[in-house]
Amino acid sequence: MQLRQAATVILESAIRIAPPSSRDWGRAMMGELNFVEGPWAGTMWALGSSRVLAKQALVSLIIPGRRGEDYVPDGGLFANSATLRKAALAMGCACILAALLFFAAPPFRQAFKVALKPWHLASGNIQPGFVAVAKQAEIKHDAEGEAFCAVRLQDSRESARLAEEAVRLDPNLLWVYAVVAMRYPELSETNKWVEKLERWDPQNALVPLITAESIHRANVQRGGGSPPTKEQEQAWQRAMAAAFQSPKFDDYFDRIAQLNRRVVPRYGFYDPYEVQSREQIDLPDSALENSQRFAQSLLNTGADLEAKGDWKGGRGRYWTVARFGQLIDSEGRTNREHGMGTTLQAMAYSQLQASAGKEGMQAEAALFGYLAAKFDPAKGKHGGLPGESAFGRDTSERNAAVVEISGIMILFFSGLVVVALSILIAGSRRRARLAAKRAKPVATIVVLTSAVGMLFSSVTLYLTYRPYWYIFQSAIQNGDGMQTRDMQEFLNSTQMLPGVSPHAFRTFTEALLYAGSPSFLFYVWAGVTLLGVLGLGLIFLRHFMGRPRAQAP
Amino acid sequence: MKIPRISPETLLVLDRFIERPTDWRYGYELSRETGLKSGTLYPILMRLEKYSMLEACWVTTEEGVPLRHTYRLTSDGLELARTKLAEARPHSMVRQPAFCSG
Repeated sequence: MQLRQAATVILESAIRIAPPSSRDWGRAMMGELNFVEGPWAGTMWALGSSRVLAKQALVSLIIPGRRGEDYVPDGGLFANSATLRKAALAMGCACILAALLFFAAPPFRQAFKVALKPWHLASGNIQPGFVAVAKQAEIKHDAEGEAFCAVRLQDSRESARLAEEAVRLDPNLLWVYAVVAMRYPELSETNKWVEKLERWDPQNALVPLITAESIHRANVQRGGGSPPTKEQEQAWQRAMAAAFQSPKFDDYFDRIAQLNRRVVPRYGFYDPYEVQSREQIDLPDSALENSQRFAQSLLNTGADLEAKGDWKGGRGRYWTVARFGQLIDSEGRTNREHGMGTTLQAMAYSQLQASAGKEGMQAEAALFGYLAAKFDPAKGKHGGLPGESAFGRDTSERNAAVVEISGIMILFFSGLVVVALSILIAGSRRRARLAAKRAKPVATIVVLTSAVGMLFSSVTLYLTYRPYWYIFQSAIQNGDGMQTRDMQEFLNSTQMLPGVSPHAFRTFTEALLYAGSPSFLFYVWAGVTLLGVLGLGLIFLRHFMGRPRAQAP
Repeated sequence: MKIPRISPETLLVLDRFIERPTDWRYGYELSRETGLKSGTLYPILMRLEKYSMLEACWVTTEEGVPLRHTYRLTSDGLELARTKLAEARPHSMVRQPAFCSG
């Protein structure tokens, strides 16, 4: 008896979800159920009938009113209640207003810009905003504004021009030459700048390193594989010897940070990526190669001296390399600088270990062996950006993905809201087309759900980005460098497609073209997008397939 | 005249109808006679009705019991059934009843 009752309940439920045109058939099946003999036979009858009705319901959901049978004019949700429709619209408008109000908050505006960064990169608009700041600075004859742009612009000629102009207006900004020359050693102005820098900051190892890089680059441009001329080689040797003898190393990052603090508020240029990014400001590409080559020549000379019995002279060469490595490692701020410092130290300590071993000084040999292993880049125990990462790289990458997806979702929902509101306005006209009038209930649902989605995405974007906004503000206003590593990792991740590791590809376009190792998050993101597109397709299919056709007379 | 898709199961149903062409038939009765389960039988009936090959009506059988749906072929349905059954081989359409109580 209970089985029969269960079968009846199943069939009744199926009739409830069946489209109007099939409900009579459902009742017919239910009517017959009373005459089916046996509980199992009755259950099978009910299940078979429910399957038919469920299939009809599913087809009706995808293609409502096939050939117009199921179409009920002005039907669907909100059909019989104009009040409900107005309430839904009011709620939707309130959500849209609340979402728009977020734009009044500076952290949100900054977050929105960061979220759309990969699309700027993909469109080729790499440095939006810089051109305007540079123009304003020139009009105002603001040396610091020009220097701010000069150290970051990716156009080398424009960068050099602004640097010259900035130093002309304020000679204290001479260090800008070094930063621009580090990025563009091939500039024709480099030699002239180096002469000035040597007089202005004579003890800084950075200046001869730039000279050596410039000579190296000139040789590469001259013919790649051909050996350098004698003059070039001598000039390069002099430059590297000067670098290795220098008592200090200053990459001018402190000065760049001070410049940021003054210029960013002045121009309201709160673009954290451009301001914080250190990707573009670093030692020249070949600095490590040049240093290793020169260090190796020093170590070889030292070994020759040792072979001739000049132990002191040989050790002196080794210590020169070790001391220069220590200097770069302790004073450097970037991964490349730390990598160079540790590599040179590892080379020198290995040689010192061998030398001490030959002399029978086992304790010293053990100490140098320990130091050589400690600084060995292959073991990866030393190096990396200074400062601790409070959030961790995974968290930064996840936050970056959330920020990017939220930004895209805000745009997506905004587009839906605009389309749906246009349909509602068109459908409200007295002479509106039937299709527009009929689409009003669906458009109301779209407005409501999109507005809720827009608000949800805005809240998510705001809350996720807010900690980074504080880090950025703290760095700009107070020069607080705490957690800049978190900011750096987050900004690196925001340049990429959500979920793709920023370490796998250099640009968003590369990630699109050569996406070889997208993470799980990438697939989730792609799945959500696909579902969204399918959902939209379904809405349009429902609309166009469900419209009434002209009847034959 | 539009003709619905005629499957072997549809032929079975048409065969039962043509046996007593003027009689109104119940769904469960057809199911027992053809051996088709409700999930197969009703889509066939719905399709035949949609193409105006079948007419249906509600009848009262006894007090307190819900109305029953009954079916009969229309003239178009009869013509179609005769044509299609003549083309087919009736002896290949024998099936066991689906819901036997015994």
